Amino acid sequence: MKLWRKKEFEEVEYRPKTVREILTEMKDTSELIVDLAYAALLFNSHDIADEVNLLEVQMDELKYQLQMTAMLAARDPEDAEKLAAVLQVANATEHISNAAGDIVRLLNTPLENRPVLFSILKEGDEMIAFVWVPKDRSRESLESIYEKSSSGLNIIAVKRGKRWIYDPEDDFIVRPGDGLVITGPENAIEELKEYIWGTNK
Amino acid sequence: MKDIDEKFLELKEKTQLMLDLAYSSLLYDNKIIAREVYHLEEDADREHDELQRMAIEDATEDKDIEKALVYVKLATALEVIADSAREISDIALRDMDMHPIFQQSLRDSDSIITSAVVSEKSPVASKRLADAELPTETGMWIVAVKRGKKWIYGPDGDFVLQKGDMVIARGPTDSEDEFISLIGRKVEWESVE
Repeated sequence: MKLWRKKEFEEVEYRPKTVREILTEMKDTSELIVDLAYAALLFNSHDIADEVNLLEVQMDELKYQLQMTAMLAARDPEDAEKLAAVLQVANATEHISNAAGDIVRLLNTPLENRPVLFSILKEGDEMIAFVWVPKDRSRESLESIYEKSSSGLNIIAVKRGKRWIYDPEDDFIVRPGDGLVITGPENAIEELKEYIWGTNK
Repeated sequence: MKDIDEKFLELKEKTQLMLDLAYSSLLYDNKIIAREVYHLEEDADREHDELQRMAIEDATEDKDIEKALVYVKLATALEVIADSAREISDIALRDMDMHPIFQQSLRDSDSIITSAVVSEKSPVASKRLADAELPTETGMWIVAVKRGKKWIYGPDGDFVLQKGDMVIARGPTDSEDEFISLIGRKVEWESVE
């Protein structure tokens, strides 16, 4: 059974996190999940789609956490008024994650019935690309990779074995065999591909 | 590229810009940015209807119902994203003090959206974007440009910035000041049409 299906109806327990932390996480997830949904269509990747589904379930959970935390945080009617606005934003980010889930469900339509449309998702200045790190390349931190490439590049997710790591931090170490999902301007992506494939072997 | 595909790409870029602007309206507690999201949402609604119509028209011609369904579903998903952006910007439009948590948590976020107006003396004025090398210089890159009343989404390398253009960019929070000073000046949102 897929991980996201297992987690879908699990009980959500209260965890002592701040409203601020949860809201930041929901905002960042709402942006990442849409990028990943387009990437799933573009690469016809059920793997990436599964990650979108997992994030969608996590968003539900975050919303629950936020609702509980907000209830405990309200001390008076004025607080409640302001916190209601926070909940509205949280709701909106959750709707976005649902839309991302709907987008990846389009992968269930057989490829031959799908419009060529998806190939155009990579047009415009920002592109999404998928790069495999060669098996014989040495390990390198993301920070060091970013230093050697044009900026504007962002590695939004890493596939390691069967696992996905999204939104890796700068001190994340890229290992041989990793798969990188990158967004950024076309030329910067091309440069990065050359760097990953061409040097530091 | 077919008409319908071009329209999809435009709606996709519009919804991304709307989200960026919606979060910015919270970050800066700014009604004018929020109203811009409202305008864009009205456009997005119209485009969504038109896309669905085009998809059905195509299907009556080539009988490819599966394909039309994919178009219709994708249009709906994009419209949900546009609606959500409007729900977020609603908060900035409401007549009440905003919870400080919005500013705090959006500042903690991985990336920030910023805006600036190209000034006459800016080193990037009258330059192709590819030559201006903004991402290399500042880490910020341009998601949209507003010229007069028109929005240009995801401008490519051949796009030439003009004095007076309003630029919306995304990047790391700590590059914001550097970016604004390179482009020219801060946007006086009160004077934006």
